[in-house]
Amino acid sequence: MTALAFLLVAASLGHAVSRWLNLPAIPFLILGGLLLSLAGVTPAGFLEDALVLGLTFLVFLAGLELNPGRVKRQRRAAVFVGLGQFLVLAASGFGAGMLLGFSTQASLYVALAVSASSTLVVVRLLQRRRQLFEPFGRMVLGVLLLQDALIIVLIPVAVLFSQGTTAVLVGLLVTAGLALLSWVSLRWIVPFLVAKTQGDGETFLLSVLGFLFLFMGVSHLVGLPLVVGAFFAGMALSAFPVNGLVRGQLASVSDFFVALFFTALGAFLSLPSAGVFLQGLGLALLVMVVTPPVVAFFAERAGFSARPGIFSGFLLSQTSEFSLVVGLQGMVMGHISQDTFTVIALATLVTMTLTPFLATDYLTWKLLDFHPGTRATDLDPPPDDHIVLLGGGSNGQALLEELSLAAHEVVVVDDDPVIISFLEESGIRTVRGDVTDFEVLRMAGVSRARMVVSTVRRPEDVGPVLAMAGGTPVLARAFNVEDAEWIRERGGEPILFSDAAADEFLAWFDAGCPAEDGDGT
Amino acid sequence: MSDATFLRELGFIILAAAIFSVAARPARIPSLVAYIFAGLFLGPVTGFLTVSEAVHLASEVGIALLLFLVGLELSLEKIKDVGKVAVAAGLGQVVFTAAGGFVLSMALSFSPMESLFIATALTFSSTVVVVKLLDQKGDLDALYGRIAVGIFLVQDLVVIVVLTVLAGLGRQEAQGAVGVGANLALAFGGMALLLALAAAASRWVLPRLLAWVAHSPEILFTWSLTWCFLFVLGAEKMQLSLEIGAFLAGISLAQLPYNHEMRRRVHPLMNFFIAVFFVSLGIQMEFSAAREYWLPGLILSLFVLVGNPFIFMWIIARAGFGERTSFRTSVTVAQISEFSFIFAAMGMGAGLIQDSILSLIGIVGLVTIAVSAYMILYADPLYEYCRRWGLLKMFRARKGDEAEEPERASLSGHVIIVGMNSLGRRLARELTERGETVLAVDSDPRKLADLPCPTLLGNAEHASVLDEAGLDQARLLVSALHIEEANNILTHRARARGIPVSVHAFEVSHVPELLALGANHLLVARDLGAERLLEAVQKHGAFQP
Repeated sequence: MTALAFLLVAASLGHAVSRWLNLPAIPFLILGGLLLSLAGVTPAGFLEDALVLGLTFLVFLAGLELNPGRVKRQRRAAVFVGLGQFLVLAASGFGAGMLLGFSTQASLYVALAVSASSTLVVVRLLQRRRQLFEPFGRMVLGVLLLQDALIIVLIPVAVLFSQGTTAVLVGLLVTAGLALLSWVSLRWIVPFLVAKTQGDGETFLLSVLGFLFLFMGVSHLVGLPLVVGAFFAGMALSAFPVNGLVRGQLASVSDFFVALFFTALGAFLSLPSAGVFLQGLGLALLVMVVTPPVVAFFAERAGFSARPGIFSGFLLSQTSEFSLVVGLQGMVMGHISQDTFTVIALATLVTMTLTPFLATDYLTWKLLDFHPGTRATDLDPPPDDHIVLLGGGSNGQALLEELSLAAHEVVVVDDDPVIISFLEESGIRTVRGDVTDFEVLRMAGVSRARMVVSTVRRPEDVGPVLAMAGGTPVLARAFNVEDAEWIRERGGEPILFSDAAADEFLAWFDAGCPAEDGDGT
Repeated sequence: MSDATFLRELGFIILAAAIFSVAARPARIPSLVAYIFAGLFLGPVTGFLTVSEAVHLASEVGIALLLFLVGLELSLEKIKDVGKVAVAAGLGQVVFTAAGGFVLSMALSFSPMESLFIATALTFSSTVVVVKLLDQKGDLDALYGRIAVGIFLVQDLVVIVVLTVLAGLGRQEAQGAVGVGANLALAFGGMALLLALAAAASRWVLPRLLAWVAHSPEILFTWSLTWCFLFVLGAEKMQLSLEIGAFLAGISLAQLPYNHEMRRRVHPLMNFFIAVFFVSLGIQMEFSAAREYWLPGLILSLFVLVGNPFIFMWIIARAGFGERTSFRTSVTVAQISEFSFIFAAMGMGAGLIQDSILSLIGIVGLVTIAVSAYMILYADPLYEYCRRWGLLKMFRARKGDEAEEPERASLSGHVIIVGMNSLGRRLARELTERGETVLAVDSDPRKLADLPCPTLLGNAEHASVLDEAGLDQARLLVSALHIEEANNILTHRARARGIPVSVHAFEVSHVPELLALGANHLLVARDLGAERLLEAVQKHGAFQP
């Protein structure tokens, strides 16, 4: 009980500091645990139990989130970018490992550990910026899910490597078999179980956990690491609406164990020597330097424009909680030393902490300057007394139709090549580029326009045009009251979309919204 | 981690618990009885598993969380007004059962020493079993629930006294009365200290501390758990039971506005660990000598099952409570405690009794816990039955105690709005102005400030939150959330219960999904905003030459 109390205190401290600094919690939980280990107050046996249980839930949760439906239309892009990043980083990681003098097997572990980005950290970041549902946000989510799955599938490879190619192949085959079992469960077994136990929260929770342990047992029986079983158990429960039900019941249980996991992990570490410390930093640097250009490259090949591509690259420049999983697995099997594990843990700590500083608009713009993209050409003749429309996608369509009916001149600014070519074909003048780029705005003739209409999603993106507009009225879309205020303060005229929706709802409501399962609309 | 024994044990325990509880549902067997049977299967029947240190710790965590929940549910005021009857009933029952048990055991031809142990083992009722069942019924806050909790806390104190005396007697250097007295003083002094700490923290420290992290549910959760286990640790250090420590920790947090949310989050965690507790209880039951002692076991069980409620009913009715309340409180004490096994094991370890007595107590334990679980869960039909047969006339209790039930204020025909962003807030305000009853739900307490309608703090994705929001009685569910998965789940849940739902479709790609789930109306801010935009553009003279 004492050990548990201490672990919880360390976790609370870690959370407190991360909240105070407004940074991801995981690094600070680990640091909290490290403090514990330095104080020497927690027995190893208890820590191991906490670690194992936490690990199980961490991986189970990751499997639970693996719903390709969330990625929607960005699936192909996500696979392309995800695989690209994975392969390049894995190769770099492997090379780094060999360079540092690790054995081949240890280098394999390092390669796996560096190749994935952190689902927990990145999703949280995207949620805060409210960009999770934008095209690039979905792509990033897809990348993260893909990489989680890849790591789980490849862990047996790293583990069985020393036993020869046959063992590895058999391992992969067995993993595929377990995946099949998971899929079968998802389609038939789980819906049946849920129907039986759904009404009672307690029984449902236990059934879900029983299911998890069953899968882990099966995984153990066929000689695979436990984490593989836990992941596939989660996957079997990842379909809608089961995953929502599970998440609801399991949320607090998993939060508890996951927090304990990271803290216990920290308590397992010891203060690194200077050499280990430098190696960890080096690995972190590798990840942070290689990832942005690689991701940006693949993202643009997949059809994204430069800015979201670069931003995605920054978003993904860290190693994952799964890197810790890989490292732990390696250490348990005796394939990597505790020092190597500390290197991985350090790299994860550093990259996770630095991600909020990297993934900023400011840094993205800075890097954009280095981008060898095609510059838009000046419009000839230069537009005058026209309407500038920022964002020509579906958001601006209705407006465009009306304006072209009135035969009024419009210049559309957008960075999506598909939209640009469509508009050009319709005979509308366009400037291809980023709406936050002053050069682009100048070419669109903002200062000479009759008005500027912005349909872009984020109010911050309207900042530059507001600064540049001078006397030209700028009408900007805003969802929030706070965003509207922000725009108004800078001289723009916000159009509150939430108000529009509210008005329509109230009209529907007053007209008599349906009674309980009576008439539909 | 090298052999993951703990994981293996836990896995089997949870799997057995799940299988047995799913199988038990059609037969309406209480879940905790199912868990005990799962434990019996894993332990005495197959000899497959024994309880390790780690599993034991998990069980203790379950007990702590359960009592923490109880504390969160109640508050010092609520406890105070049942204090007197709790003390009277608690102490009265101890005296009666101990005396009666002793006499009965002697009559059944047990030796005086054995009778003493049996009597003590029979005396205490199980806090864990009763509180778990009360929580399941949702009656912790009812009058009879509060009285029951008060009684068990009083008995806990008596247990502490007994344990302290035992420990003092059992020591190598026989301490004598002074030593034992000193230990007792330490224990009670410690409790006073913890109580003071809880009260002080509740008034001055906790509100501000927790307000800082209130908008982040995970941190709030971690901190409340840390608080709980720090108290548990403190209680253990002061020779008090972990139940009391956890309970005090819960009480100190009961005043805060987030206690509902905290309770909802702690609940599943508690369910998990408590299941481990009951299964491990089953595993540890000892039935080697069961065959020869089945008749005395049955007789003693009957004594507990009928005798304890009897004396209780008498005391509580005397105290002026209504007949129904008295009855419901009385059936909660019809079992012996898990502590009885510990006590008997201690006696066996000290060579004072044989292991056959342990089996006897095991039988009584199993029978009384199982039967009393039924009695508690089905207390109302049982009451009607007893009343009809005139069994309760002898207690001469006051009739008509409906006023003693808590007011279950529930909304009906209301509109639930989830997501207090600008859209949600505007809707909440406008609908309230139109005279509708609105319940605003959000997981961020800051977003629930300054609203003209009742609010509920919680994550609407969780079924328990929707239940508390009274989804089944609502007229309409509106979600203004900007989160796809949440909107999907909400739509699905509402339509499954036949409640109309209007949901925010903030992305074109999301619309078909929501319609397929049966959404009655979509808040499509984008399209409508575009119309607004158009109007504004026209206003600015876009269409003039």
